[in-house]
Amino acid sequence: MIEVRNLTKRFGSHTAVDDLSFDAQPGEIVGILGPNGAGKTTTMRMLTGFMPPTSGTAKIAGFDVFNDSLEVRARVGYLPEQVPVYPDMTVRGYVTFWAELRGVRKPHARVDEVIERVQLTDRRNSLIRNLSKGMRQRLGLAQAIVHDPQVIILDEPTIGIDPQQVIEVRETVRQFRTKHTVLFSTHILSEAEQICDRVLIIHQGRIVAEGAPATLRQQLQPGAHLYVLIGGADEAQARNLLEHIPGVQSVQAQGEGFTIRTQPDVDIRAEVSESVMRAGFALLELRPVAMTLEDIFLDIVGRKT
Amino acid sequence: MWIIFRREVGQYFASPVAYLIAAGFLVLTALIFNNDLTVSATVKPASPSVVPAFLSFALVFFAPLLTMRMLAEESREGTLELLLTAPVTDSAIVLGKFLGAWFYYTMLLALTLVYQVILVSVTQPDLGHAISAYIGIWLYGGATIAVGLLFSALTENQVIAAFLATAALLILWLGGLAGQIVANLDLARMLYTLTLQGHFTSSFAVGLLRVEDAAYYAGMMAIMLFITIRIVESHRWRG
Repeated sequence: MIEVRNLTKRFGSHTAVDDLSFDAQPGEIVGILGPNGAGKTTTMRMLTGFMPPTSGTAKIAGFDVFNDSLEVRARVGYLPEQVPVYPDMTVRGYVTFWAELRGVRKPHARVDEVIERVQLTDRRNSLIRNLSKGMRQRLGLAQAIVHDPQVIILDEPTIGIDPQQVIEVRETVRQFRTKHTVLFSTHILSEAEQICDRVLIIHQGRIVAEGAPATLRQQLQPGAHLYVLIGGADEAQARNLLEHIPGVQSVQAQGEGFTIRTQPDVDIRAEVSESVMRAGFALLELRPVAMTLEDIFLDIVGRKT
Repeated sequence: MWIIFRREVGQYFASPVAYLIAAGFLVLTALIFNNDLTVSATVKPASPSVVPAFLSFALVFFAPLLTMRMLAEESREGTLELLLTAPVTDSAIVLGKFLGAWFYYTMLLALTLVYQVILVSVTQPDLGHAISAYIGIWLYGGATIAVGLLFSALTENQVIAAFLATAALLILWLGGLAGQIVANLDLARMLYTLTLQGHFTSSFAVGLLRVEDAAYYAGMMAIMLFITIRIVESHRWRG
C-alpha cells in the first residue's frame, strides 16, 4: 500500500531524510520511531504530497506522491503534529468541510458516523474553540478518516494530551487496523510497542532498525542478559566468580546484584547456579532480563553516534 | 474551489465581526449619501456616483479587513498544511478564498443600491452613470481584495497582513498625487494611469465605461492572485 524507495529530502545542506526505503501492507500499523528531528515529520509530509522529495520515489496505492499528487491526496488521511482546526467552526461543520473537500458524496451520514466513532457526538454542535486538547485530537482523527482513506498518516497523535486521552486515542488508532494502513510516528517507545505491527527506528534521517517490536527486540539484543543476586559474597568476590564462568561476556553491577551479558542462543543459567553453589555462596536470584525497546533504541542510537 | 468558497462565505456570516464590518460600511456610506443629498437639494444636481467614489477611498482600509484572516489564519493554525494535502490544487484554494471575499463585498455593495432607489424616487439621476460607477467600484473592490489576499499569504499575523495591505493600497491610491508634483507631463500621466484612482475617478466615476480600465483591474487581480498562489505553493518548499 505504501512503497518508499530511496526517499531523500534535503533542506539546503541539511539532509532531513536520507535514502529511506520501506513498505507497508494493507491492514498494517507501522510505527516510525525516532528522537525529535530524526526526519519523521518530513517523511510523512512527503508521503502526504505536502512537499516533494529531493530524490527517490514514494508510492501510495500505486500512485506516485509527486506525479499523481492529487490521486494520492484523495487516498490519504493525514493528521499533522499540530492539530489543524478552525476555532470558529462547529465540530460537525469542520468534519463536513473536510469530507466535501475530499470528495465524499452525501457527507452527512458519514460525518455523523465518524463523529460517533471518535466519541464526540454529544459535542457535535459545539464550537471547536471550546473543546479540550484531547477532544481536538480526536477531532483531528475524525477529519483524517472521514473520506475512508486507504492510508492514514498520523504525526505524533498522542503528544501533549493527558494519559486517559492517550489511551483513548491509541484505542481509536488500533481500530483503524481492520480497514486501513496506518503510518504512525512517535518518540514514545512503549507506545510503538503497544500499537504497531511493525516499527521503523529512524535516526538522523536513516532507518537504523526495522521489524516487529518482538523480533526487533530479539534481533537487536546483543546476547542474552541475566540478573544474578548472590548471597554471602562481597562484591569483588562475586564479580570475580561471575567473570570466570564460561560464556559470560561482561558483568555489570546493578543494585545489589549483577547483570551479566552472555552470548546469544547459549543458556548458561545451569552453569551459573552450579558455579555459585560450588564456591559456597547462595544464589538468591537468577532471572533473564528482557530489553525494552527503550534500551535497544538507546543502544542503537548510541552506537551510531 | 466552491467548497472553499462556501466555507469562506459561511465564515463571514457566522462571525459577529463580519456583521459589524457590514454595519460600519452601511453607516458610513449612508452618511456620505445623506450629506450629498442635502447639498444637492440646493446647490448641485445629485450625483449617482457619490457612494462608489467614497468607496474607492474607503476600500484602501476596508479590503484588508476582509482578507487579513484568510490565509494568515490558515498558516498559523496549521490548517494550511492540511489544505495542501487535500485533493485540491493550490490555485483552487486561493481562488476559492478570493471569490468568497469578493462575493461578500458584492453583497455589501448590493445593499448600497438602496441609495440609488432613494435617488430615483426623489429625482431623475443618470442611470447609465450609476451603472458605470457601480461596475467600476465592483472591479475596483476585486482588485483591492486581491492585494489584501496577497499580504495575508505573506505572514501568519493578521494585523501585519492588514497593515501591509493598507500601506500597499495607499501607495497605489496616492500614486496619483505623485503625478501632480512631477513636472514632466508624460511621466505624470504614466504615474496616474498606474494607480487605482487613475482608472476610476476620471472614468467609471464620471460614467465612462472603457475596456482599458476594466482590463487594468482585471489584470491587477490576475497578477495579485498569481503571486498569491505562488506564495501558498512556496510552503511546500520551505523546511
